[in-house]
Amino acid sequence: MSDLDRAIAQLRACRLIPESQVRELCYKARELLIEEGNVVCVDAPVTICGDIHGQFHDLMELFRVGGDVPDTNYLFMGDFVDRGFYSLESFLLLLCLKVRYPDRITLIRGNHESRQITTVYGFYDECIRKYGSANVWRYCCEVFDYLALGALVLGASSGLEPTGPALETTSSTMSLDDSELETEVLNSRGEVTMSSYRPKQPRTDSPLLPSLSQDKSATSSTTQTPASSSMPPLRSGWAGTGATGDSSGSYATGTGAVLCVHGGLSPLIDSVDKIRLIDRKQEVPHEGAMCDLLWSDPDEIDGWGLSPRGAGFLFGGDIVKHFNYKNDLSLIARAHQLVMEGYKEMFDGGIVTVWSAPNYCYRCGNVASILELGEDASNGGTVARSNGDYGRSTGGAAGAAAVTRSPGRRYRVFEAAAQDTRGMPAKKPVADYFL
Amino acid sequence: MSASQIPNLNTLRRGGARLRGRGRGGGELGSDAPSRRGGSSTKDRVVQGTDNDASVSRLSAVNLGYLDDPFASALTPPGQETRRLPIINRGTYVRTTTIDHLLTQFLHPSTTPHRPDTDTPQRTPTTPTKSTIPTLLRPKPKQIISLGAGSDTRIFRLLAQTQTQTQTQPHPEQTIIYHELDFPSNTASKIRAIRAVPHLQRALGDPQTVTISPAADALHTPHYHLHPIDLRQLAALASSPPSRKGDLGNEGADLRLDTLLPGLDPTLPTVLISECCLIYLEPEEARRVVEFFVGVFDASVGEGKAEAGAGAGSGAGADGPPPTPPLGIILYEPIRPDDAFGRTMVANLATRGIQLQTLHRYASLAAQRARLRAHGFVDGQAAADVDFLWERWVAEGEKERVAGLEMLDEMEEWRLLARHYCVAWGWREGGGRQQHVFEGWRGLEGQQDED
Repeated sequence: MSDLDRAIAQLRACRLIPESQVRELCYKARELLIEEGNVVCVDAPVTICGDIHGQFHDLMELFRVGGDVPDTNYLFMGDFVDRGFYSLESFLLLLCLKVRYPDRITLIRGNHESRQITTVYGFYDECIRKYGSANVWRYCCEVFDYLALGALVLGASSGLEPTGPALETTSSTMSLDDSELETEVLNSRGEVTMSSYRPKQPRTDSPLLPSLSQDKSATSSTTQTPASSSMPPLRSGWAGTGATGDSSGSYATGTGAVLCVHGGLSPLIDSVDKIRLIDRKQEVPHEGAMCDLLWSDPDEIDGWGLSPRGAGFLFGGDIVKHFNYKNDLSLIARAHQLVMEGYKEMFDGGIVTVWSAPNYCYRCGNVASILELGEDASNGGTVARSNGDYGRSTGGAAGAAAVTRSPGRRYRVFEAAAQDTRGMPAKKPVADYFL
Repeated sequence: MSASQIPNLNTLRRGGARLRGRGRGGGELGSDAPSRRGGSSTKDRVVQGTDNDASVSRLSAVNLGYLDDPFASALTPPGQETRRLPIINRGTYVRTTTIDHLLTQFLHPSTTPHRPDTDTPQRTPTTPTKSTIPTLLRPKPKQIISLGAGSDTRIFRLLAQTQTQTQTQPHPEQTIIYHELDFPSNTASKIRAIRAVPHLQRALGDPQTVTISPAADALHTPHYHLHPIDLRQLAALASSPPSRKGDLGNEGADLRLDTLLPGLDPTLPTVLISECCLIYLEPEEARRVVEFFVGVFDASVGEGKAEAGAGAGSGAGADGPPPTPPLGIILYEPIRPDDAFGRTMVANLATRGIQLQTLHRYASLAAQRARLRAHGFVDGQAAADVDFLWERWVAEGEKERVAGLEMLDEMEEWRLLARHYCVAWGWREGGGRQQHVFEGWRGLEGQQDED
């Protein structure tokens, strides 16, 4: 058993590793992360997770519900630390897993992965308390500076393979032969609690293009007959539909890429490529594109608005639709906002908030979720790998805009781990209230 | 509640000193449990401990610039200082400034909120003391009764304000008579703090006018009375109308209002404050505590008049039948226990041994308003949650200032928390000639829409 495996075993048991080992781990992690671009490309299948916030026992519950590493690929969208009582155990475990299985786990930066925020919200104090000095906090902050700002998930399938037995109370739109499972919600016991279907991608027997995975234009040229123009979707969820006023209803075969980012969009960023231009290896600035990506929130407004958080912006559905269309994205997945139900889709499914800290701060009473995107098996499992412009429309021969289909989405909803109350440090008040 | 459950005041008095080193939390609770007599007193200690929590939160908000309160650190137990999370600081800010604002509107109805110093000078210059000025020229004193006040600093801030005002402003001071009621252990530790800290003493004024009981748990000055009393004692008295002079119930044949709560003047315009206090009592007890005070300030109840108020030495002129004085109430407490956050709150506090006993009875803003109406605060009842108060009562510039102090990382969490606390206020102007003591409250915006 290597040192790393030993460290993983120890951290899984919620026991810290020695400071010297933390230093070594952080050094290795930095070497690894420095090679990653600002926007990491990740292949489906992958399980996307939101805020963890040091709720270690809930992170264990997440792995129980979503499958263990390396059996399941994970993408964590930041906010590993602060607020909960086990930021160190949680972040160091994730970091160990990253170093051990670099291709199986992706970590991107959240607004709490910052020196300034961690001194206010608990991680700094926790490091002092548990290690007796600020050294470990410093090592971790150096790692934060190297974390990617976003990720693109490629090759996600548009339909889901239905999961086993449904609960009696399952609410579901009807399943038809020519429909595919678009979303499915499961509880922590793996029972389906909700599912929705949409019409299947109309298929013509156009020749399967041999060079599909390399040929960008190929994907968009396999446009289909607009059979569905007379058959509205069972559920609105086609990202970008609204943006294509001249669309005659032609569809690309694949789903567009899924952009994952902690907070949201920035008025300074109109394309994924612009994210790639940021010099990210620094403390999170108070303003600017990098700050916005980590701080912004979607809201029911038009255009851009000021954020009540004091950093980042609010952005409306029109901004999301336009951004998704322009970048051939089928979905933006983000975290950053507490959602009582664990996840929340907005703007006709153009963006989703995934929240993975159940009973946040041991106080909020919310459930958590993770989002699974399946692998598109229709191309024999071949993933179109390009530099983020997978499926990008070339404008098409007839000028028809391609409409990307949103990926099939499986949400696993889970509650706070039972042992959490037992594991709570006794000397600290459980959660603050006004008394 | 059976009589046997009513703690004997004297027992509590003697037990007071021991409560100093108590800790909090479930662990210690368990170890205390075996002592049978402690069954209820353990619970009491936990409730008394909640005061500690509040004062630490106050100090945190003061240290970070949310509130200006020179007395916060003197009244927080040493070594407890800690930085609270931004949402807690913001909540403490809203809670404190809202109640301050309501009191300002009660004490100085014509003044601009938060800025008593902009008051227009009226009448003639006066000396700060109640000496030669004819009573007529001075505004009638106003009275505030704070239930379970604990280490609250408000009286010191008010007194300090009055002092600077009379030094700089050429108009007569608004005389305040302020009562704090709490467990003897809490009043005793407050008196210890006052004795130890010079600027607390200075705020109280002339040391000659300060008297402290032999047990060092009661304090009286012309403007400030610290009463060591278990509120349940008052609840028990509510059933027999608290005659202002005569007997107070059968059991306390000797107890009169002026021995029970010395200095309380039942003829003055008065506001009752419960800042997270009544909620710890059994619903029936909580109701009776308010009923007790409503009765004390009801001229039609009891026969003997006004004499009990003589202790305050204030302008209780008793020509003819004195009218029922104006009475208002301010409540600050949690609400909405039945959603996910509320259920978690109840469960979390239970692990600390804290039971919010009236929470379910007054679970909504509407229930709080109905509660005030039922108590006879017929001239107005309003309530608003802390989220609403932050959004609507805090001026934009001030909001910007406060928001700039610390970055809130999670707005949903703030709203969630803030929606589970409310301030409710109600009043009755009382009888006699037309009075407008609560005119200032009439224009304050309450929250109408309900869950």
